[in-house]
Amino acid sequence: MTIVDLTSMSSPQVGERSEINNRLKRLQEEVSELCYQCGKCTAGCEAHKLLELEPHKIIALLKRGLVDEMLNSDIIWTCMSCFKCWQRCPQAVPPVSVLFTLKNMAVASGKEIPGSYTQMMQSLMSIGLVSDVQSVPTQDGKTVSRDDLGLPPLSKPVDAQKFQAGFMALAMEKV
Amino acid sequence: MAEKKTKDQKIKLALFPGCSMPTEQYGYELSVREVMPLVGIELVDLQGFSCCGEPMKSVNALMTLYLSARNIALAEKEGLDILAPCAMCHLALSDCMHVLGSDESLKKRINEKLGSEDLEYHGSAKLYHVVDLLYDVVGLEKIEELVKKPLKDISVATHYGCHLLRPTVIGRPVDAEQPKKMEEIIKICGGSAPFYPEKLDCCGGIVQFNLLESALTKTGQKLKAVKDAEFSCFVDVCPWCHKMFDARQQKAAETVAAKLDVPVLYFTQLLGLALGVDSKKLGLFLNQSPMQKFEEVF
Amino acid sequence: MAKKRRVGVFVCHCGINISQKIDIEKLRSFAETLEGVVVSKDYKYMCSDVGATLIKDTIKDYKLDAVVIASCSPRMHEQTFRNVVLEGGVNPYRVEIVNIREQCSWSHENKDFATEKAKTLLRSGVAKARLLEPLERSKIDVVQDALVIGGGISGIQASLDLADDGFHVTLVEREPTIGGHMAQLDKTFPTLDCSSCILTPKMMEVQNHPNIELLTYAEVESVEGSIGNFSVKIKKKARYVDLDKCTGCGDCIAVCRLKDRIDNEFDFGLGKRGAIYMPFPQAIPLKCTIDDSSCLFLTRGKCGESPPCRDACGQKAIDFDQKDEVIEKKVGAIVVATGYDLLDVSALGEYSYNHSADVLSSLEMERLISSSGPTKGEITRPSDGKKPKSITYILCVGSRDVSQCSWCCRIGCMSALKQAFLLDEKFEDLEINICYNDIRAFGKGYEEFYGKIRGIGANMFRGRPSEVRVQADGQLKMDVFDTTTSKLFEVSSDMVVLVPALVPRTGADELARLLHLTQSADGFLLEAHPKLRPMDTFVGGVFVGGCCQAPKDICDSVAQASGAASRAATLLSQKELEIDPLIAAVDPDACTGCGVCIDVCPYNARSLDEIKRIAVVEGALCAGCGACIVACPSNASIHKNFTRKQLMDMVDDIV
Repeated sequence: MTIVDLTSMSSPQVGERSEINNRLKRLQEEVSELCYQCGKCTAGCEAHKLLELEPHKIIALLKRGLVDEMLNSDIIWTCMSCFKCWQRCPQAVPPVSVLFTLKNMAVASGKEIPGSYTQMMQSLMSIGLVSDVQSVPTQDGKTVSRDDLGLPPLSKPVDAQKFQAGFMALAMEKV
Repeated sequence: MAEKKTKDQKIKLALFPGCSMPTEQYGYELSVREVMPLVGIELVDLQGFSCCGEPMKSVNALMTLYLSARNIALAEKEGLDILAPCAMCHLALSDCMHVLGSDESLKKRINEKLGSEDLEYHGSAKLYHVVDLLYDVVGLEKIEELVKKPLKDISVATHYGCHLLRPTVIGRPVDAEQPKKMEEIIKICGGSAPFYPEKLDCCGGIVQFNLLESALTKTGQKLKAVKDAEFSCFVDVCPWCHKMFDARQQKAAETVAAKLDVPVLYFTQLLGLALGVDSKKLGLFLNQSPMQKFEEVF
Repeated sequence: MAKKRRVGVFVCHCGINISQKIDIEKLRSFAETLEGVVVSKDYKYMCSDVGATLIKDTIKDYKLDAVVIASCSPRMHEQTFRNVVLEGGVNPYRVEIVNIREQCSWSHENKDFATEKAKTLLRSGVAKARLLEPLERSKIDVVQDALVIGGGISGIQASLDLADDGFHVTLVEREPTIGGHMAQLDKTFPTLDCSSCILTPKMMEVQNHPNIELLTYAEVESVEGSIGNFSVKIKKKARYVDLDKCTGCGDCIAVCRLKDRIDNEFDFGLGKRGAIYMPFPQAIPLKCTIDDSSCLFLTRGKCGESPPCRDACGQKAIDFDQKDEVIEKKVGAIVVATGYDLLDVSALGEYSYNHSADVLSSLEMERLISSSGPTKGEITRPSDGKKPKSITYILCVGSRDVSQCSWCCRIGCMSALKQAFLLDEKFEDLEINICYNDIRAFGKGYEEFYGKIRGIGANMFRGRPSEVRVQADGQLKMDVFDTTTSKLFEVSSDMVVLVPALVPRTGADELARLLHLTQSADGFLLEAHPKLRPMDTFVGGVFVGGCCQAPKDICDSVAQASGAASRAATLLSQKELEIDPLIAAVDPDACTGCGVCIDVCPYNARSLDEIKRIAVVEGALCAGCGACIVACPSNASIHKNFTRKQLMDMVDDIV
């Protein structure tokens, strides 16, 4: 017995579906099976009107196992992680978490990461923060930096190598 | 939740600054450092903190858990509870405690790696954000005693931000649908914080790196509603939100084709003013939105 | 010492359920080798007529005095076999059932293993049978009166049925009038009968029925005793109005100083009342009540020069000295019919119920629709009194929602469709929007009714809105994603009706505790079996009917209430009740009178005989739970036919 999605001519990717649901369970979240497609998440989605993200459809596609279609799309990167979908879902299903997982899977499979995530990763690896101290403008047209304001020194990892070792080791693993 | 302390006892908390506040949003840090001692909170600066990991969650969520656990472990090593003024950091740390609190094997896995930095995560530290620290620990009574310059005739549009409000299931410091902690503090400071329908809307900050126009549209739409409702000012409690509403207000105005001149302050800046602190010390000069307009009214 | 026991063993094949995995012949012949067994037989269906005859004939032929039946679980046919054995002339408590189906043939794959296990089980069963005592069922008198708690349609129906059966019924209702939520409805689905028109005749019947004693504005305070013999204390709350004198003329209501100043509960605050009031014009009894939390005279000690109500009353019925009165009733059966409440939608912030007077719950809208409601059936916005041009319904508010009520309210879809129809009738040109999850039109005539509604041109959106926003101009706006067209619609309306979940009536928890009733996870009262015993509870003599057991519509409530009355009548029609003898007993020689068993008993079945200084078991109350057996430090508490010796012998034979 087979099921074929005639738009993409693919069969459900059941392995990936299980992986995503298992990860949800791991993180103490509800699995996608419970969704009964009420659409409340999409109705309240902060990214829907501008970017056409449909959280309920993400869950519906996941239930069907059509994961690759989502991994290959840009839509998963539109989520604003406002958490309204999870907050208001009557079955406590977290489309936001499914989207994080899909993004993680896309990155892990080598797809291009949009935006400045790459730069932020590099900064994280070198100084332990996603950005370094910046100069900012003031109301009267000057620029100041952290030191000018008399604030204590920036808190960042003391031993950069040990920090990198621990954190990179984990970066290779999956949840 | 800690019990309310008497007037004489000071509470010591490790200040977890995150990335955005200490490298760019200096106004928040200045105002936090000014206000906390006044209300009886002693902030301890620890060395060694890193990013909480939440901005990287889309890349690798396990890494986010690790980074959050690491920072909590650092504070625990000094026997301190934590104040995280950034709502995004607070979410990351709360989520970490929720997940690792329910999964022993995941906790063990992370502790194995933390061992290389001589750290161990327990999950025993208490975690606060500015809003619940002021409301639940310091308390309205104490704050009222300290008010020197009441916020007379000031109507405030409060913005909690998505990460402070949701998701309730992991434990958040305020109610997700009808939050009232900032409103009540503002009220006892003599001001008002009327309801407005857009209160729970998102700033759009998360997608500013890959979809800037959409992010600015969200920011602009919310500010437009606030302006139309004629509030005296807009307050927020997260450096990511503040950057959008304050520094990016003009760009947001262009994006939604509106004229915007809403004074945007950090909640601690507004509170500091009410407690009689000089506006320069609170870093109001670092805000990019119209501060003169606000200071005239105030 | 008793003479040697003559045990007969009967092995059932249970069709192939047992014989497929257990070698019946091996088991049967093994039985004959056991001490005490004089004969062993087998048959395909021991529970059938033929099987029964086999048992009876064998008892006679072999002069048996105890019987062991190796068959399915005793839960299935223990009572049947006891009756058969009794007919055969042997005490029915000298029967031991050995479960070789659920615990043997159905649990194991290997036939050899199953057969050996069955032999072991049988051997221990026979060991017990050798020691079984002949027990007698004692009898208690049944008080042939009934108590019905709750005066909504379910309580009314149950009371009328029991009263028509000839039993005296005390009907206790917490509010000043009977009628419940049905009295608040305008029309009922799917026939669109006028709710009051079909309800008030029944309410009148209750008032006039010679067998019904109606106690309104009264609550049950305590319940003692057990099946057939309950002792109930009822508190009649002070109304400050003499019911014998009051004629319900309403002169007092017209002059009350607080007239129209207090939210009327019947109209959910959309209408007002005074401190002295009648909930609605068709109230039964048609008497006034003074609300002592708002009445000026009762709260402050004075009301102007003199309370105008008292002055206006021609019958001198107002009595401010009236006090609460506690009375006691003895009844044999209790029917609980306390009904439901709507989920409190003010707690669900996202729907802006607290931010707009024009966001209503379904029952609030029902009051507006009702011609006897606060607006006499005119639909106007509570905020400004204007007629709405658009009304939007949101179904499943708090229903099927794990963070609120996980269950379906069962009536939401139909009541919303009904209201939509009634609203459409009242207006020339009203836009009606319905945001639904699924439309559940399951009952008789419901699907046809749904078809009728599809014809009125309401906009049906299949999707749940995430929130309702109140605009500056008072308009109520919401986005709903319609999954049928995959489009997001922005809907703007003058009024929004939230159709919320159904929850048990407030006070249900306390009542459950009073009656020792279990509640299911959703808080509704738990039925003894969801399919086969939906009106019984786990407390003998207490029955449930209507929404207190689970949400349901009027016709199902009436059906269940009649069912509960029938169950109660079955009990009450017996003058005497036999008590199950498989209960606790006290060995008077071993008992030291320490009293530990008395504290431990959850059924209040034990007390201390002060003179003999030993514990005593009240047979009618004892449920045979075994707590006292475990607690007794002197081994003086015994469970009849589950004695220590019997059980130890069984264990010895297994081991």
